[in-house]
Amino acid sequence: MNKQGYSAGHVAYLKKRRRSAVAVNVARVAILAGVLGAWELMYRLGVIDGFIFSAPSRIFATLGGLFASGEIYLHIGITLYETLAGFAIATVAGSAVALALWWNEKLRKILDPYIVVLNSLPKIALGPIIIIWFGSGTRAIIVMAVLIAVVVTTITMLGAFLETDADKTLLMRSMGATKVQILTKLVIPSSLAGFINMLKINIGMSWIGSIMGEYLVSKAGIGYLIVYGGQVFRLDLVYASTLILLALAAGMYALVSLAEKLIVGKNRI
Amino acid sequence: MKELLTLEGVGFVYHTPDGETVAVDGLSFTVKEGEFVSVIGPSGCGKTTLLGLMSGLLSPTEGKITFSGGEKPGYMLQRDELFPWRTIRKNVLLPLEIKKKLTKENAEYADSLFEKYGLADFKEQYPDRLSGGMRQRVALIRTLVFKPEVLLLDEPFSALDYQTRLSVCEDVYNIIRRENKTTVLVTHDISEAISVSDRILMLTPRPARVKKVYTLDFKEESPLKRRKNPRFREWFEILWRDLNE
Repeated sequence: MNKQGYSAGHVAYLKKRRRSAVAVNVARVAILAGVLGAWELMYRLGVIDGFIFSAPSRIFATLGGLFASGEIYLHIGITLYETLAGFAIATVAGSAVALALWWNEKLRKILDPYIVVLNSLPKIALGPIIIIWFGSGTRAIIVMAVLIAVVVTTITMLGAFLETDADKTLLMRSMGATKVQILTKLVIPSSLAGFINMLKINIGMSWIGSIMGEYLVSKAGIGYLIVYGGQVFRLDLVYASTLILLALAAGMYALVSLAEKLIVGKNRI
Repeated sequence: MKELLTLEGVGFVYHTPDGETVAVDGLSFTVKEGEFVSVIGPSGCGKTTLLGLMSGLLSPTEGKITFSGGEKPGYMLQRDELFPWRTIRKNVLLPLEIKKKLTKENAEYADSLFEKYGLADFKEQYPDRLSGGMRQRVALIRTLVFKPEVLLLDEPFSALDYQTRLSVCEDVYNIIRRENKTTVLVTHDISEAISVSDRILMLTPRPARVKKVYTLDFKEESPLKRRKNPRFREWFEILWRDLNE
């Protein structure tokens, strides 16, 4: 017997588990280091052309320059603003529409084909119209982000609302619950898992929207930097901006995951 | 005894795009105060529809249902349907919230029920911490909390395994007797019906009509004691024969 009172078999099992977890992490880091190392090596040996393929050292140097000049903060700020605004507006508007459709079955039936068509339309095709209507500033980009995210939000939330357990609804009705009570005490709480799912989908959609919007029309932002880098053949800048975008998206996803943990833990779903 | 629930020539028709189905037809029956009545019949014969009619969730397409009690009947379903995001206590208070009767007295009454039926220690837990049998007892307390005169039970034990079913049935029966409630139980289990009922209402295959009404002659015995009574087998054979006739 050891200090925790576990059997030898259990200790061996725990050790094996820990070793396997370590191995997974080591492999993950090794892949990254391997790819970056090989890339850098090929660049140094002249196998690949640095002008076209760039190299890790060049990308990090560019990143350092961007942060040192402070110029990058403006771009990050603008893209974050567009993405978050698109995310927030789409979440609120999409949930509100879903709520209206849940409430009114007739309306749901009438609007169903419109939603299906709007969902399958590539929203980017609306780019020229958006620019004409909303100008060439951040406003147009936010509209783009909203358009891309709002239909999916509506569909996901409506699905969650409609999935509410029929027997629980029957129980509520047997207690004499009104439709508002069924909504607030049953449908909304039981759709919380769907809501979080929707947030996760939405955050990705909003990124697509804001970056696409910046590709179409912008004077600043991470998407603008990427397009600009491409146009003037500064591949270092393209890679560096993409890296920043990756970090921002990962950070935002982590925030949503954190929110999920807090909400789920508190509400037992 | 006062007649609490009277059905006179009740009929109910379901309409679907494929056609109409007569689920209940010309059904007359009376439930008296303090009675425990079970409704049995072949599966799909419209037992649950009948319960829906008695609870007022469905309106009869024909005939009349008179309910002379105060509060609407309390409904208990096959599964406990406890809300996982509410504590046990909050689950039980739900009907009071809905009826806007969440007063201090009523909340105290709920607490007294927890106390009385050995669930006080679990009040602040969430449903996922409780066993199936305990959850079904909580569901019963949730039904009792707004003091309905009539309880409508829709196969409330059928989702439980056999052992649990017997003991929860015993518990639920004792609680109902202690609280002196009039009860209508829908079940497909003949022995369960015999073990708890004063009267058994047997329905015909769809459309449901009254096939026969049986008045059982057990004297206030609990379900488990009844199961050991020699009369139990006799009743079972009578009902089995009639049901399959």
